[in-house]
Amino acid sequence: MSLLAVSNLTKNYRRTGKPVAAVDDVSFTIEPGETLALAGPSGSGKSTIARLVLRLIEPDAGRIEFEGSDFLVLRGAALRARRARLQMVFQDPLAAFNPRATVARVLDDPLRIHGIASRAERPRRIAALLERVGLAADLAPRAIHEISGGQRQRVAIARAIATKPSLIVLDEAVSALDVSVRGQILDLLLDLQRQDKIAYLFISHDLGVVRAVAHRVILLNAGRIAESGDARAVIDAPRSAIGRALVAAAPKLNRAKT
Amino acid sequence: MSPLRRFLRTPEAVAGAILLGALAAMALSASLLFPGDPQAIAGPALLPPFQDWSLPLGTDRLGRDVLAELFHGARTSLAVGLAAAAAALAIGAVVGTLAGFADGLVDEVLMRVTDAFQTVPSFLLALAFVSVVGPSLGIVVIAIALGTWTGPARVARAEVLSIRERDYVANARAIGMHPLEIAFREVLPNALPPVLAMSSVIVAAAILTEAALSFLGLGDPNRVTWGGMIAEGRTVLRTAPFLSIVPGIALVLTVLGVYLAGEGIVETTAVKRGLS
Repeated sequence: MSLLAVSNLTKNYRRTGKPVAAVDDVSFTIEPGETLALAGPSGSGKSTIARLVLRLIEPDAGRIEFEGSDFLVLRGAALRARRARLQMVFQDPLAAFNPRATVARVLDDPLRIHGIASRAERPRRIAALLERVGLAADLAPRAIHEISGGQRQRVAIARAIATKPSLIVLDEAVSALDVSVRGQILDLLLDLQRQDKIAYLFISHDLGVVRAVAHRVILLNAGRIAESGDARAVIDAPRSAIGRALVAAAPKLNRAKT
Repeated sequence: MSPLRRFLRTPEAVAGAILLGALAAMALSASLLFPGDPQAIAGPALLPPFQDWSLPLGTDRLGRDVLAELFHGARTSLAVGLAAAAAALAIGAVVGTLAGFADGLVDEVLMRVTDAFQTVPSFLLALAFVSVVGPSLGIVVIAIALGTWTGPARVARAEVLSIRERDYVANARAIGMHPLEIAFREVLPNALPPVLAMSSVIVAAAILTEAALSFLGLGDPNRVTWGGMIAEGRTVLRTAPFLSIVPGIALVLTVLGVYLAGEGIVETTAVKRGLS
Protein backbone atom coordinates (compact mmCIF):
# COMPACT_ATOMS: atom_id res chain seq x y z
CA MET A 1 0.00 0.00 0.00
CA SER A 2 1.32 3.41 -0.94
CA LEU A 3 1.91 6.04 1.70
CA LEU A 4 0.42 8.74 -0.49
CA ALA A 5 -1.73 8.11 -3.54
CA VAL A 6 -2.77 11.12 -5.59
CA SER A 7 -5.13 10.51 -8.46
CA ASN A 8 -6.48 12.84 -11.16
CA LEU A 9 -5.67 15.94 -9.13
CA THR A 10 -6.87 19.13 -10.81
CA LYS A 11 -6.72 22.75 -9.73
CA ASN A 12 -7.81 25.74 -11.79
CA TYR A 13 -7.08 29.36 -11.08
CA ARG A 14 -9.23 32.08 -12.48
CA ARG A 15 -7.29 34.84 -14.16
CA THR A 16 -9.42 37.66 -15.62
CA GLY A 17 -12.41 35.37 -15.90
CA LYS A 18 -10.63 32.63 -17.85
CA PRO A 19 -9.82 29.49 -15.88
CA VAL A 20 -6.16 28.50 -16.07
CA ALA A 21 -5.25 24.93 -15.19
CA ALA A 22 -2.42 25.08 -12.66
CA VAL A 23 -2.56 21.34 -12.08
CA ASP A 24 -4.24 19.17 -14.71
CA ASP A 25 -5.13 15.54 -14.04
CA VAL A 26 -1.98 14.61 -12.11
CA SER A 27 -1.61 11.17 -10.51
CA PHE A 28 1.31 9.70 -8.58
CA THR A 29 2.16 7.61 -5.52
CA ILE A 30 4.84 7.78 -2.86
CA GLU A 31 6.00 4.69 -0.99
CA PRO A 32 7.12 4.81 2.67
CA GLY A 33 10.72 6.02 3.01
CA GLU A 34 10.90 7.05 -0.64
CA THR A 35 11.91 10.38 -2.17
CA LEU A 36 9.79 11.47 -5.09
CA ALA A 37 10.95 14.62 -6.85
CA LEU A 38 8.68 17.01 -8.70
CA ALA A 39 10.68 19.03 -11.18
CA GLY A 40 9.74 21.43 -13.91
CA PRO A 41 10.04 25.03 -15.05
CA SER A 42 8.46 27.95 -13.18
CA GLY A 43 4.68 27.86 -13.37
CA SER A 44 4.55 24.14 -14.08
CA GLY A 45 2.45 23.51 -10.98
CA LYS A 46 5.08 22.07 -8.62
CA SER A 47 4.28 24.29 -5.67
CA THR A 48 0.55 24.08 -6.29
CA ILE A 49 0.77 20.29 -6.01
CA ALA A 50 2.72 20.68 -2.75
CA ARG A 51 0.06 22.93 -1.32
CA LEU A 52 -2.74 20.66 -2.53
CA VAL A 53 -1.15 17.61 -0.92
CA LEU A 54 -0.89 19.55 2.35
CA ARG A 55 -4.47 20.80 2.09
CA LEU A 56 -3.27 24.39 2.25
CA ILE A 57 -5.44 24.87 -0.82
CA GLU A 58 -8.34 22.70 -1.97
CA PRO A 59 -8.35 20.83 -5.31
CA ASP A 60 -11.14 21.21 -7.86
CA ALA A 61 -11.12 17.49 -8.59
CA GLY A 62 -9.21 14.36 -7.77
CA ARG A 63 -8.42 12.17 -4.79
CA ILE A 64 -5.66 12.19 -2.20
CA GLU A 65 -5.20 9.08 -0.08
CA PHE A 66 -2.75 9.37 2.76
CA GLU A 67 -1.77 6.40 4.95
CA GLY A 68 -4.65 4.39 3.53
CA SER A 69 -7.50 6.82 4.14
CA ASP A 70 -9.14 9.59 2.16
CA PHE A 71 -7.30 12.79 3.12
CA LEU A 72 -9.73 15.15 1.40
CA VAL A 73 -12.78 14.30 3.55
CA LEU A 74 -11.10 15.44 6.77
CA ARG A 75 -12.36 18.67 8.31
CA GLY A 76 -11.55 20.85 11.32
CA ALA A 77 -10.04 19.10 14.32
CA ALA A 78 -9.65 15.76 12.52
CA LEU A 79 -7.67 17.43 9.73
CA ARG A 80 -5.49 19.35 12.19
CA ALA A 81 -4.69 16.17 14.09
CA ARG A 82 -3.80 14.36 10.85
CA ARG A 83 -1.43 17.16 9.81
CA ALA A 84 1.05 15.83 12.37
CA ARG A 85 1.87 12.99 9.95
CA LEU A 86 2.39 15.27 6.94
CA GLN A 87 4.78 18.17 7.28
CA MET A 88 6.34 20.82 5.10
CA VAL A 89 9.61 22.72 4.77
CA PHE A 90 9.42 25.99 2.85
CA GLN A 91 11.85 27.55 0.41
CA ASP A 92 12.60 30.78 2.26
CA PRO A 93 13.28 29.91 5.90
CA LEU A 94 12.94 33.56 6.93
CA ALA A 95 9.47 34.01 5.44
CA ALA A 96 8.34 30.65 6.82
CA PHE A 97 8.49 31.80 10.44
CA ASN A 98 6.66 34.48 12.35
CA PRO A 99 9.11 37.42 12.45
CA ARG A 100 8.54 37.73 16.20
CA ALA A 101 9.21 34.09 16.97
CA THR A 102 12.15 32.57 18.80
CA VAL A 103 13.66 29.21 17.93
CA ALA A 104 12.13 27.72 21.08
CA ARG A 105 8.63 28.94 20.24
CA VAL A 106 8.83 27.63 16.68
CA LEU A 107 9.67 24.16 17.99
CA ASP A 108 7.31 24.38 20.95
CA ASP A 109 4.23 24.89 18.73
CA PRO A 110 4.01 21.39 17.17
CA LEU A 111 4.84 19.69 20.49
CA ARG A 112 2.10 21.66 22.27
CA ILE A 113 -0.55 21.48 19.53
CA HIS A 114 -0.31 17.73 19.11
CA GLY A 115 0.14 17.03 22.82
CA ILE A 116 3.47 15.29 22.21
CA ALA A 117 5.13 16.53 25.39
CA SER A 118 3.96 18.13 28.63
CA ARG A 119 4.84 21.74 29.33
CA ALA A 120 7.59 20.71 31.75
CA GLU A 121 9.04 18.22 29.32
CA ARG A 122 9.06 20.47 26.27
CA PRO A 123 12.35 22.37 26.83
CA ARG A 124 14.17 19.03 26.90
CA ARG A 125 12.40 17.88 23.76
CA ILE A 126 13.27 21.14 22.00
CA ALA A 127 16.93 20.69 22.92
CA ALA A 128 16.81 17.10 21.61
CA LEU A 129 15.25 18.26 18.32
CA LEU A 130 17.93 20.91 17.89
CA GLU A 131 20.66 18.34 18.46
CA ARG A 132 18.97 15.98 16.03
CA VAL A 133 19.34 18.54 13.22
CA GLY A 134 22.91 19.40 14.20
CA LEU A 135 22.32 22.63 16.11
CA ALA A 136 23.43 23.62 19.60
CA ALA A 137 20.69 23.47 22.23
CA ASP A 138 21.56 26.97 23.46
CA LEU A 139 20.19 28.36 20.19
CA ALA A 140 16.67 27.95 21.62
CA PRO A 141 16.17 31.41 23.17
CA ARG A 142 17.46 33.22 20.06
CA ALA A 143 15.11 35.15 17.78
CA ILE A 144 14.52 33.53 14.41
CA HIS A 145 15.94 36.54 12.52
CA GLU A 146 19.18 36.42 14.50
CA ILE A 147 20.39 33.06 13.22
CA SER A 148 21.89 32.26 9.81
CA GLY A 149 19.93 30.99 6.82
CA GLY A 150 21.36 27.49 7.11
CA GLN A 151 20.57 27.35 10.82
CA ARG A 152 17.07 28.59 10.09
CA GLN A 153 16.47 25.82 7.57
CA ARG A 154 17.70 23.30 10.14
CA VAL A 155 15.19 24.73 12.60
CA ALA A 156 12.49 24.36 9.93
CA ILE A 157 13.45 20.71 9.52
CA ALA A 158 13.44 20.22 13.29
CA ARG A 159 9.94 21.68 13.39
CA ALA A 160 8.83 19.36 10.59
CA ILE A 161 10.14 16.21 12.29
CA ALA A 162 8.84 17.22 15.75
CA THR A 163 5.54 15.44 15.15
CA LYS A 164 7.22 12.30 13.73
CA PRO A 165 5.65 12.58 10.26
CA SER A 166 5.70 9.84 7.64
CA LEU A 167 5.90 12.34 4.77
CA ILE A 168 7.58 15.72 4.50
CA VAL A 169 6.96 18.03 1.56
CA LEU A 170 10.15 19.94 0.75
CA ASP A 171 9.13 22.90 -1.39
CA GLU A 172 12.42 24.13 -2.89
CA ALA A 173 13.81 23.56 0.59
CA VAL A 174 17.45 23.96 -0.40
CA SER A 175 17.10 26.42 -3.30
CA ALA A 176 17.57 29.55 -1.20
CA LEU A 177 20.70 28.25 0.55
CA ASP A 178 24.24 28.79 -0.63
CA VAL A 179 26.00 25.81 -2.11
CA SER A 180 28.10 24.73 0.87
CA VAL A 181 25.12 24.84 3.22
CA ARG A 182 22.93 23.09 0.64
CA GLY A 183 25.06 19.95 0.74
CA GLN A 184 24.92 19.81 4.55
CA ILE A 185 21.13 20.20 4.59
CA LEU A 186 20.72 17.48 1.94
CA ASP A 187 22.93 15.15 4.02
CA LEU A 188 20.81 15.90 7.08
CA LEU A 189 17.62 15.11 5.14
CA LEU A 190 19.06 11.81 3.89
CA ASP A 191 20.17 10.87 7.44
CA LEU A 192 16.70 11.55 8.81
CA GLN A 193 15.17 9.50 6.02
CA ARG A 194 17.43 6.51 6.78
CA GLN A 195 16.77 6.70 10.53
CA ASP A 196 13.01 7.32 10.55
CA LYS A 197 11.87 6.00 7.14
CA ILE A 198 10.42 9.41 6.28
CA ALA A 199 9.19 9.83 2.71
CA TYR A 200 9.92 13.11 0.92
CA LEU A 201 8.01 14.89 -1.79
CA PHE A 202 10.99 16.86 -3.06
CA ILE A 203 10.13 19.88 -5.15
CA SER A 204 12.96 21.47 -7.02
CA HIS A 205 13.93 23.01 -10.32
CA ASP A 206 17.53 21.91 -9.83
CA LEU A 207 17.96 18.60 -11.65
CA GLY A 208 21.45 18.09 -10.23
CA VAL A 209 20.06 18.03 -6.69
CA VAL A 210 17.11 15.90 -7.79
CA ARG A 211 19.43 13.32 -9.35
CA ALA A 212 21.47 13.17 -6.13
CA VAL A 213 18.64 12.70 -3.62
CA ALA A 214 15.49 11.42 -5.36
CA HIS A 215 14.53 7.83 -6.08
CA ARG A 216 11.95 8.72 -8.66
CA VAL A 217 11.19 11.93 -10.49
CA ILE A 218 8.16 13.45 -12.16
CA LEU A 219 8.78 16.16 -14.74
CA LEU A 220 5.93 18.63 -14.98
CA ASN A 221 5.05 21.03 -17.73
CA ALA A 222 2.09 23.41 -17.65
CA GLY A 223 0.38 21.45 -14.88
CA ARG A 224 0.68 18.05 -16.59
CA ILE A 225 3.07 15.16 -16.10
CA ALA A 226 5.49 15.18 -19.02
CA GLU A 227 7.63 12.27 -17.97
CA SER A 228 8.23 10.13 -14.90
CA GLY A 229 10.41 7.29 -13.76
CA ASP A 230 13.66 6.43 -12.00
CA ALA A 231 15.41 9.72 -11.23
CA ARG A 232 18.80 8.85 -12.71
CA ALA A 233 17.33 7.19 -15.78
CA VAL A 234 15.06 10.13 -16.55
CA ILE A 235 17.68 12.80 -16.00
CA ASP A 236 20.45 10.95 -17.85
CA ALA A 237 18.25 10.21 -20.86
CA PRO A 238 15.11 12.36 -20.91
CA ARG A 239 12.54 11.33 -23.48
CA SER A 240 10.15 14.31 -23.34
CA ALA A 241 10.87 17.67 -24.92
CA ILE A 242 10.61 19.51 -21.61
CA GLY A 243 12.91 16.94 -19.99
CA ARG A 244 15.58 17.52 -22.62
CA ALA A 245 15.17 21.29 -22.27
CA LEU A 246 15.54 21.13 -18.49
CA VAL A 247 18.62 18.91 -18.64
CA ALA A 248 20.20 21.13 -21.28
CA ALA A 249 19.55 24.20 -19.14
CA ALA A 250 21.12 22.72 -16.01
CA PRO A 251 24.60 24.14 -15.37
CA LYS A 252 27.36 21.55 -15.47
CA LEU A 253 30.66 22.07 -13.70
CA ASN A 254 32.48 19.42 -15.72
CA ARG A 255 31.65 21.05 -19.03
CA ALA A 256 34.86 23.07 -18.94
CA LYS A 257 37.00 19.95 -18.66
CA THR A 258 35.64 18.13 -21.69
CA MET B 1 20.76 55.99 17.85
CA SER B 2 18.26 54.82 20.44
CA PRO B 3 14.55 55.40 19.69
CA LEU B 4 14.22 57.65 22.73
CA ARG B 5 17.11 59.83 21.55
CA ARG B 6 15.59 60.09 18.09
CA PHE B 7 12.22 60.92 19.64
CA LEU B 8 13.78 63.71 21.68
CA ARG B 9 15.45 65.23 18.62
CA THR B 10 12.15 66.03 16.90
CA PRO B 11 10.97 69.38 18.33
CA GLU B 12 7.24 68.72 17.90
CA ALA B 13 7.57 65.42 19.68
CA VAL B 14 9.30 67.11 22.61
CA ALA B 15 6.60 69.81 22.76
CA GLY B 16 3.91 67.11 22.69
CA ALA B 17 5.67 65.08 25.35
CA ILE B 18 5.97 68.13 27.62
CA LEU B 19 2.28 68.98 27.21
CA LEU B 20 1.26 65.40 27.88
CA GLY B 21 3.62 65.19 30.82
CA ALA B 22 2.09 68.33 32.30
CA LEU B 23 -1.38 66.87 31.81
CA ALA B 24 -0.40 63.60 33.44
CA ALA B 25 1.22 65.49 36.33
CA MET B 26 -1.98 67.51 36.79
CA ALA B 27 -4.10 64.39 36.77
CA LEU B 28 -1.85 62.52 39.20
CA SER B 29 -1.34 65.40 41.62
CA ALA B 30 -4.99 66.54 41.66
CA SER B 31 -5.93 64.87 44.92
CA LEU B 32 -2.59 65.79 46.56
CA LEU B 33 -2.68 69.50 45.72
CA PHE B 34 -6.44 69.83 45.97
CA PRO B 35 -7.66 67.25 48.47
CA GLY B 36 -11.36 67.05 49.11
CA ASP B 37 -14.27 67.66 46.79
CA PRO B 38 -13.33 70.01 43.90
CA GLN B 39 -17.03 70.81 43.59
CA ALA B 40 -17.19 72.23 47.15
CA ILE B 41 -17.55 75.98 47.67
CA ALA B 42 -14.11 77.50 48.28
CA GLY B 43 -14.70 81.26 48.29
CA PRO B 44 -16.90 84.09 47.00
CA ALA B 45 -18.66 83.51 43.69
CA LEU B 46 -17.25 84.76 40.37
CA LEU B 47 -13.88 85.84 41.74
CA PRO B 48 -11.73 86.78 38.68
CA PRO B 49 -8.32 85.12 38.21
CA PHE B 50 -5.09 86.49 39.73
CA GLN B 51 -6.93 88.43 42.48
CA ASP B 52 -6.63 86.10 45.43
CA TRP B 53 -3.53 83.91 45.40
CA SER B 54 -5.19 81.19 47.45
CA LEU B 55 -7.59 80.89 44.49
CA PRO B 56 -5.24 81.77 41.59
CA LEU B 57 -7.68 81.16 38.73
CA GLY B 58 -10.64 82.57 40.62
CA THR B 59 -14.00 80.93 41.31
CA ASP B 60 -17.05 80.08 39.27
CA ARG B 61 -20.72 80.99 39.69
CA LEU B 62 -21.06 78.90 42.85
CA GLY B 63 -17.72 79.91 44.37
CA ARG B 64 -15.83 76.73 43.40
CA ASP B 65 -12.06 76.86 42.92
CA VAL B 66 -11.43 76.90 39.13
CA LEU B 67 -7.83 75.66 39.45
CA ALA B 68 -8.94 72.67 41.54
CA GLU B 69 -11.62 71.91 38.99
CA LEU B 70 -9.08 72.17 36.18
CA PHE B 71 -6.77 69.66 37.87
CA HIS B 72 -9.54 67.19 38.61
CA GLY B 73 -10.93 67.68 35.11
CA ALA B 74 -7.56 66.62 33.69
CA ARG B 75 -8.12 63.25 35.31
CA THR B 76 -11.43 62.74 33.54
CA SER B 77 -10.10 63.85 30.17
CA LEU B 78 -7.05 61.64 30.40
CA ALA B 79 -8.94 58.63 31.76
CA VAL B 80 -11.71 58.83 29.17
CA GLY B 81 -9.30 59.56 26.31
CA LEU B 82 -7.02 56.63 27.07
CA ALA B 83 -9.75 54.16 28.01
CA ALA B 84 -11.91 54.96 24.98
CA ALA B 85 -8.94 54.77 22.61
CA ALA B 86 -7.79 51.47 24.14
CA ALA B 87 -11.30 50.05 23.84
CA ALA B 88 -11.68 51.28 20.24
CA LEU B 89 -8.29 49.87 19.21
CA ALA B 90 -9.01 46.54 20.92
CA ILE B 91 -12.45 46.15 19.32
CA GLY B 92 -11.14 47.34 15.95
CA ALA B 93 -8.12 45.03 15.98
CA VAL B 94 -10.18 41.98 16.92
CA VAL B 95 -12.99 42.66 14.42
CA GLY B 96 -10.52 43.54 11.66
CA THR B 97 -8.42 40.44 12.29
CA LEU B 98 -11.43 38.13 12.30
CA ALA B 99 -12.85 39.72 9.14
CA GLY B 100 -9.56 39.62 7.28
CA PHE B 101 -8.65 36.15 8.37
CA ALA B 102 -12.01 34.39 8.23
CA ASP B 103 -12.87 35.39 4.67
CA GLY B 104 -16.26 34.68 3.08
CA LEU B 105 -19.44 35.14 5.05
CA VAL B 106 -17.84 36.17 8.36
CA ASP B 107 -15.80 38.86 6.58
CA GLU B 108 -18.88 40.07 4.74
CA VAL B 109 -21.02 40.28 7.90
CA LEU B 110 -18.35 41.97 10.02
CA MET B 111 -17.51 44.53 7.36
CA ARG B 112 -21.19 45.39 6.75
CA VAL B 113 -21.57 45.93 10.52
CA THR B 114 -18.49 48.15 10.34
CA ASP B 115 -20.06 50.05 7.43
CA ALA B 116 -23.23 50.52 9.44
CA PHE B 117 -21.30 52.00 12.35
CA GLN B 118 -19.28 54.17 10.02
CA THR B 119 -22.28 55.71 8.29
CA VAL B 120 -23.70 56.99 11.59
CA PRO B 121 -21.82 60.11 12.74
CA SER B 122 -19.83 58.93 15.72
CA PHE B 123 -20.85 61.88 17.88
CA LEU B 124 -24.57 61.24 17.29
CA LEU B 125 -24.00 57.60 18.16
CA ALA B 126 -22.30 58.55 21.42
CA LEU B 127 -25.02 61.09 22.17
CA ALA B 128 -27.81 58.58 21.59
CA PHE B 129 -26.05 55.86 23.58
CA VAL B 130 -25.40 58.04 26.63
CA SER B 131 -28.88 59.52 26.65
CA VAL B 132 -30.44 56.05 26.56
CA VAL B 133 -28.16 54.28 29.05
CA GLY B 134 -27.47 57.23 31.34
CA PRO B 135 -24.31 59.22 31.94
CA SER B 136 -21.42 57.68 33.87
CA LEU B 137 -17.72 57.52 33.14
CA GLY B 138 -17.83 53.89 31.94
CA ILE B 139 -20.80 54.53 29.66
CA VAL B 140 -19.12 57.59 28.15
CA VAL B 141 -16.04 55.48 27.41
CA ILE B 142 -18.14 52.80 25.70
CA ALA B 143 -20.14 55.42 23.79
CA ILE B 144 -16.98 57.00 22.38
CA ALA B 145 -15.39 53.62 21.58
CA LEU B 146 -18.56 52.59 19.68
CA GLY B 147 -18.07 55.44 17.24
CA THR B 148 -14.31 55.12 16.72
CA TRP B 149 -13.48 51.41 16.42
CA THR B 150 -14.31 51.27 12.70
CA GLY B 151 -11.11 53.02 11.54
CA PRO B 152 -8.76 50.62 13.34
CA ALA B 153 -10.93 47.70 12.16
CA ARG B 154 -10.44 48.63 8.50
CA VAL B 155 -6.72 49.18 8.86
CA ALA B 156 -6.32 45.89 10.74
CA ARG B 157 -8.30 44.00 8.09
CA ALA B 158 -6.23 45.40 5.23
CA GLU B 159 -3.04 44.44 7.04
CA VAL B 160 -4.31 40.95 7.87
CA LEU B 161 -5.33 40.37 4.24
CA SER B 162 -1.71 40.78 3.21
CA ILE B 163 -0.19 38.90 6.16
CA ARG B 164 -2.38 35.82 5.85
CA GLU B 165 -0.84 35.01 2.45
CA ARG B 166 2.64 34.80 3.95
CA ASP B 167 4.47 31.54 4.27
CA TYR B 168 4.55 31.55 8.04
CA VAL B 169 0.76 31.49 8.17
CA ALA B 170 0.73 28.52 5.77
CA ASN B 171 3.39 26.94 7.98
CA ALA B 172 1.23 27.43 11.08
CA ARG B 173 -1.67 25.75 9.27
CA ALA B 174 0.58 22.93 8.12
CA ILE B 175 1.56 22.07 11.68
CA GLY B 176 -2.13 21.94 12.62
CA MET B 177 -2.53 25.17 14.57
CA HIS B 178 -6.12 26.18 15.34
CA PRO B 179 -7.35 29.01 13.05
CA LEU B 180 -8.16 31.26 16.01
CA GLU B 181 -4.68 30.77 17.41
CA ILE B 182 -3.20 31.58 13.99
CA ALA B 183 -5.35 34.72 13.79
CA PHE B 184 -4.55 36.07 17.23
CA ARG B 185 -1.06 34.76 17.89
CA GLU B 186 0.58 34.70 14.48
CA VAL B 187 -1.26 37.35 12.48
CA LEU B 188 -2.63 39.99 14.85
CA PRO B 189 0.69 40.96 16.54
CA ASN B 190 2.23 41.56 13.12
CA ALA B 191 -0.78 43.58 11.93
CA LEU B 192 -0.74 45.91 14.95
CA PRO B 193 1.88 48.62 14.14
CA PRO B 194 -0.20 50.55 11.57
CA VAL B 195 -3.26 50.20 13.82
CA LEU B 196 -1.39 51.59 16.81
CA ALA B 197 -0.21 54.51 14.68
CA MET B 198 -3.84 55.68 14.71
CA SER B 199 -3.98 55.82 18.49
CA SER B 200 -2.98 59.49 18.90
CA VAL B 201 -5.75 60.64 16.56
CA ILE B 202 -8.24 58.47 18.43
CA VAL B 203 -7.15 59.64 21.88
CA ALA B 204 -7.44 63.27 20.78
CA ALA B 205 -10.87 62.67 19.24
CA ALA B 206 -12.02 60.83 22.36
CA ILE B 207 -10.99 63.71 24.63
CA LEU B 208 -12.88 66.16 22.42
CA THR B 209 -15.96 63.93 22.24
CA GLU B 210 -15.99 63.56 26.02
CA ALA B 211 -15.76 67.33 26.41
CA ALA B 212 -18.59 67.82 23.91
CA LEU B 213 -20.79 65.29 25.71
CA SER B 214 -20.10 67.02 29.04
CA PHE B 215 -20.83 70.38 27.46
CA LEU B 216 -24.25 69.05 26.51
CA GLY B 217 -24.76 67.84 30.06
CA LEU B 218 -24.23 64.17 29.23
CA GLY B 219 -20.98 63.72 31.13
CA ASP B 220 -20.66 61.88 34.42
CA PRO B 221 -22.41 64.30 36.85
CA ASN B 222 -20.24 63.21 39.77
CA ARG B 223 -17.00 64.23 38.11
CA VAL B 224 -15.54 67.56 37.11
CA THR B 225 -14.97 67.72 33.38
CA TRP B 226 -13.55 70.46 31.20
CA GLY B 227 -16.52 70.27 28.89
CA GLY B 228 -18.82 70.66 31.88
CA MET B 229 -16.82 73.68 33.07
CA ILE B 230 -17.14 75.37 29.68
CA ALA B 231 -20.88 74.72 29.72
CA GLU B 232 -21.10 76.07 33.25
CA GLY B 233 -19.26 79.27 32.28
CA ARG B 234 -21.43 79.81 29.20
CA THR B 235 -24.27 81.37 31.26
CA VAL B 236 -21.92 84.12 32.47
CA LEU B 237 -19.87 84.37 29.29
CA ARG B 238 -20.17 88.19 29.11
CA THR B 239 -19.32 88.97 32.71
CA ALA B 240 -16.81 86.16 33.44
CA PRO B 241 -15.43 84.81 30.14
CA PHE B 242 -12.40 83.28 31.92
CA LEU B 243 -14.67 80.50 33.22
CA SER B 244 -15.01 79.14 29.67
CA ILE B 245 -11.65 80.27 28.35
CA VAL B 246 -9.47 78.55 30.98
CA PRO B 247 -10.81 75.00 30.46
CA GLY B 248 -10.97 75.72 26.72
CA ILE B 249 -7.24 76.47 26.64
CA ALA B 250 -6.55 73.34 28.70
CA LEU B 251 -8.50 71.28 26.16
CA VAL B 252 -6.67 72.79 23.18
CA LEU B 253 -3.25 72.21 24.75
CA THR B 254 -4.12 68.61 25.66
CA VAL B 255 -5.33 67.67 22.18
CA LEU B 256 -2.34 69.44 20.66
CA GLY B 257 -0.01 67.54 22.99
CA VAL B 258 -1.55 64.19 22.12
CA TYR B 259 -1.28 64.88 18.38
CA LEU B 260 2.31 66.10 18.53
CA ALA B 261 3.52 63.26 20.73
CA GLY B 262 1.70 60.71 18.56
CA GLU B 263 3.16 62.24 15.43
CA GLY B 264 6.61 62.09 17.01
CA ILE B 265 6.23 58.41 17.87
CA VAL B 266 5.06 57.53 14.35
CA GLU B 267 7.93 59.52 12.90
CA THR B 268 10.46 57.82 15.18
CA THR B 269 9.30 54.31 14.34
CA ALA B 270 9.14 55.15 10.62
CA VAL B 271 12.77 56.22 10.66
CA LYS B 272 13.68 53.06 12.55
CA ARG B 273 12.02 50.89 9.92
CA GLY B 274 13.63 52.80 7.10
CA LEU B 275 17.07 52.09 8.51
CA SER B 276 16.62 48.41 9.26
